[in-house]
Amino acid sequence: MIAIYVHIPFCESKCVYCAFASFLTGEKEREKYFEVLKKEIAACDFDDRDVQSIYFGGGTPSCVSEEKIASVLETIKKHFRVLENAEITIECNPCSASEKKLASYKNMGINRISFGVQSLDENMLKFLGRRHNKLGALDAIKRATAAGFENISADLLLGLPAGDVKKDAARLIRNGVKHISAYMLQIEEKTPLKKMVERGKLKLPSDDETADNYQKLASFLQKKGLKRYEISNFALPSYESRHNSAYWTGGQYIGFGLGAHSFDGKNKRWANASNFEDYYAGRVQIESLSTSERDEEIIMLGLRCSFGFNIKELSFDISKNKSFNELLKQNIIIKNGDIITLNSDFYGVSNSVILKLLDD
Amino acid sequence: MKENIRNFCIIAHIDHGKSTLADRLMEQTNSVAKRDMQSQLLDSMELEREKGITIKLTPTRMNYSFEGKDYVLNLIDTPGHVDFTYEVSRSLAACEGAILIVDASQGVEAQTLANAYLAIDANLEILPVINKIDLPSARPDEVKKEIEDVVGLPAEDAPCISAKEGTNIDEVLRQIVSTFPAPKGDQSAPLKGLIFDSFYDNFKGAVCLVRIFDGEIKAGDQILFMQTGKRFDVTEVGIFTPKMESANSLSAGEVGYVTASIKSLSEVNVGDTITHVERPTLEPMPGYKVVQPVVYCGVFAVDGSKYNELKEALLKLKLNDASLQFSPEVSQALGFGFRCGFLGLLHLEIITERIEREFNIDIITTAPSVSYKVIKTNGDELEISNPANLPTPVEIEKIYEPMLKASIFTPPAYVGAIMQLCQDKRGVYKNMVYLDASRVRLEYSLPLGEIIYDFFDRLKSATKGYASFDYEMDGFAVSKLVKLDILLNGEKCDALSLIVHEESAYSRGRAIAEKLKKIIPRQLFEVPIQAAIGNKIIARETISALRKDVLAKCYGGDVTRKRKLLEKQKEGKKRMRQIGSVEIPSEAFLSILKLDDEQ
Repeated sequence: MIAIYVHIPFCESKCVYCAFASFLTGEKEREKYFEVLKKEIAACDFDDRDVQSIYFGGGTPSCVSEEKIASVLETIKKHFRVLENAEITIECNPCSASEKKLASYKNMGINRISFGVQSLDENMLKFLGRRHNKLGALDAIKRATAAGFENISADLLLGLPAGDVKKDAARLIRNGVKHISAYMLQIEEKTPLKKMVERGKLKLPSDDETADNYQKLASFLQKKGLKRYEISNFALPSYESRHNSAYWTGGQYIGFGLGAHSFDGKNKRWANASNFEDYYAGRVQIESLSTSERDEEIIMLGLRCSFGFNIKELSFDISKNKSFNELLKQNIIIKNGDIITLNSDFYGVSNSVILKLLDD
Repeated sequence: MKENIRNFCIIAHIDHGKSTLADRLMEQTNSVAKRDMQSQLLDSMELEREKGITIKLTPTRMNYSFEGKDYVLNLIDTPGHVDFTYEVSRSLAACEGAILIVDASQGVEAQTLANAYLAIDANLEILPVINKIDLPSARPDEVKKEIEDVVGLPAEDAPCISAKEGTNIDEVLRQIVSTFPAPKGDQSAPLKGLIFDSFYDNFKGAVCLVRIFDGEIKAGDQILFMQTGKRFDVTEVGIFTPKMESANSLSAGEVGYVTASIKSLSEVNVGDTITHVERPTLEPMPGYKVVQPVVYCGVFAVDGSKYNELKEALLKLKLNDASLQFSPEVSQALGFGFRCGFLGLLHLEIITERIEREFNIDIITTAPSVSYKVIKTNGDELEISNPANLPTPVEIEKIYEPMLKASIFTPPAYVGAIMQLCQDKRGVYKNMVYLDASRVRLEYSLPLGEIIYDFFDRLKSATKGYASFDYEMDGFAVSKLVKLDILLNGEKCDALSLIVHEESAYSRGRAIAEKLKKIIPRQLFEVPIQAAIGNKIIARETISALRKDVLAKCYGGDVTRKRKLLEKQKEGKKRMRQIGSVEIPSEAFLSILKLDDEQ
């Protein structure tokens, strides 16, 4: 079974923290892009044709016409076998998710909406360069529910200069959100945000404050029944994202579109070029993973998830490693049969734990 | 022939223009073509040129005609740093005269005086030269008077020059010929030559730089090093122009080199006397001694697997520097490495920089230490240069620490600050002399162990850089010293131990704990940092546990980027050392020496 990712690299505006491949291009460029995208899908010769999930990400997939999305979906259905119960997600900006659009998404078979809410604090939304305000975000969720969607996810950002992420989450859940992705704000290179921080124009909360807020958010969501099934992802039972889980569990996935990534489930990763010219020319970067690189990935991805990783999947016997046993003794990692998981108290510092595990 | 030879050296305080004058003399005597002229030819090592100091001596032979006669001028360069005082004294012993350069605006400084006294002790004729008269702040007449008053040398006729601009260099050459005596010595007497320096040549082996006092030496001779008793067959003799140029022989009064298929520099001791095996001279040259290191530190490769490369590097450096000593050392914290002995802090700095630069090995050095003499209660006597090896307090009867005689030159305004500094450093006041209205000379007895700990930086900042400092070793003195241990998460870190004076132990312990708290990154758990003397904890700080350290989200399945980020971090972690369960950055080991900027 495969997971399919489709990248829509267009936005109506660019947010201050964004370092992704997204462009504010005109209609002509968009037309051309979708033509190439569909050709790419048609030409894909991957062995496995059974699709368990499709994910439209961006950019802002909701800012292009619903016809374009429908035609891509048709192309996929024509060339692959999309399973009946497949999870089909589209990322939406609250502003561009009109009633009409949501209705046609529903019609074409999309069954999951992921809203880029980020915050419900008016000042923060303005600061981030988002086009929606608090009411806009809540209205969009209501519209989606009205259109028949019940699997709704929302993104929230932590580490912002102001706002109350716990209150925001409560509000979203009350409005029917079943899944929350909560990410820490990252200061990426070459973003307006980075410049603001460098010029001292912006005071961000300390790492400790952000860590505290995250902890509070996590226990609040837990209480509301949303399980932390991955470091940054919380869901009500059976609302876990199947698509994202494929990334974390070493499943095979194919990415179509600009800068999209693919994995054959074994040892080959490849990525499309992240500028239009090279993407149109079909340039792809291929990477063959060495055994040790694949081991690193299994540990790195597994420890971020509540289901951990199986030591049998590794090419070596990790139970002989000094740091592994040390971490076990310190109760930082937990062993249950062959399954290793990260103690959730240490989710905030997973990176250090992973590094330590990769030490010897 | 001998009457036309002049053997001399140039002595000066650092930066007063020694190397520049040497360049000019060579240029003026056409010893090097101008187009080959590389600024400051004698300072050949990259590092020396960068630091503006001369470490390695390179002699040069120059031809000079004066009043119709042809002269041979042998310039023997001397290192200008106190770390190399013994080498300086051997170079001086090879000369009849010394040019004493004094900066026309700065006047007499600590090393001017120290070097001048060394030259006077060696019975050299001294020619003062006032340099940098091109500077707007030059005050040649006052400086002349200073030389007469402070050093006690007549300076009325001292040439006033600008080595930089080439002004009056001819006058210096004329005075070299007229002031310095020709070498004495008997060419028919048994061979007697002084080894004043040596270096290693990949093809010729160890090259001895020699001054012949009596007799004659040529290829094929059987020679004897009188102090070490070693015998060799001479393969080549020659002179420096400044390139090596072979000659038929070297005879009384001459300066040059001798090679004899000597495999290692450690077989050639500076100060030794060369004579013939068949017809030896009766008495060796006076003043010979074996140079002992005064400063020690542990040197470890950051990447532990590079132990053998580090060993190779040290062996190669030792080929060219017999004064470098090293022996294997094992540290719990840092693994396998070497305890190295140096002539001083500059020497330490040069060697460690060369390891990193020329051999491309990242290294961790531990805090420098001096060598202590310990008398144990059972009567045993130990020499301790690694604090980790100091016996426990109950086993120690007495500890002796190396002392030095320091002389500090300063404008009077800073006398108070310097006295305070010397007092902080457990100095004992000896003497103070007002040289003139603007300069004072202070004399202190100070423990060497205090000098290697931020003394220079503090002297510089206390006097805005106006004071100069020189010292000589002055035996050992009993002292109340204790070992200060640092514990991380309850485990003693041997590489962070220091030997300190009882009275300063508390404040040092506190300062180190505070500093380490800043330097050691937060870990997965809380880490207590403790300073202890024996079993007694004297200071404690706590590094709180790390709270936030998450990789960027894995967007659209871009796992590669995530793994690369992780690998980059992994690479960065190679500079970290694991002590027990605590990871500490390699800078931590030296940082404990630099505490004052925070206080």
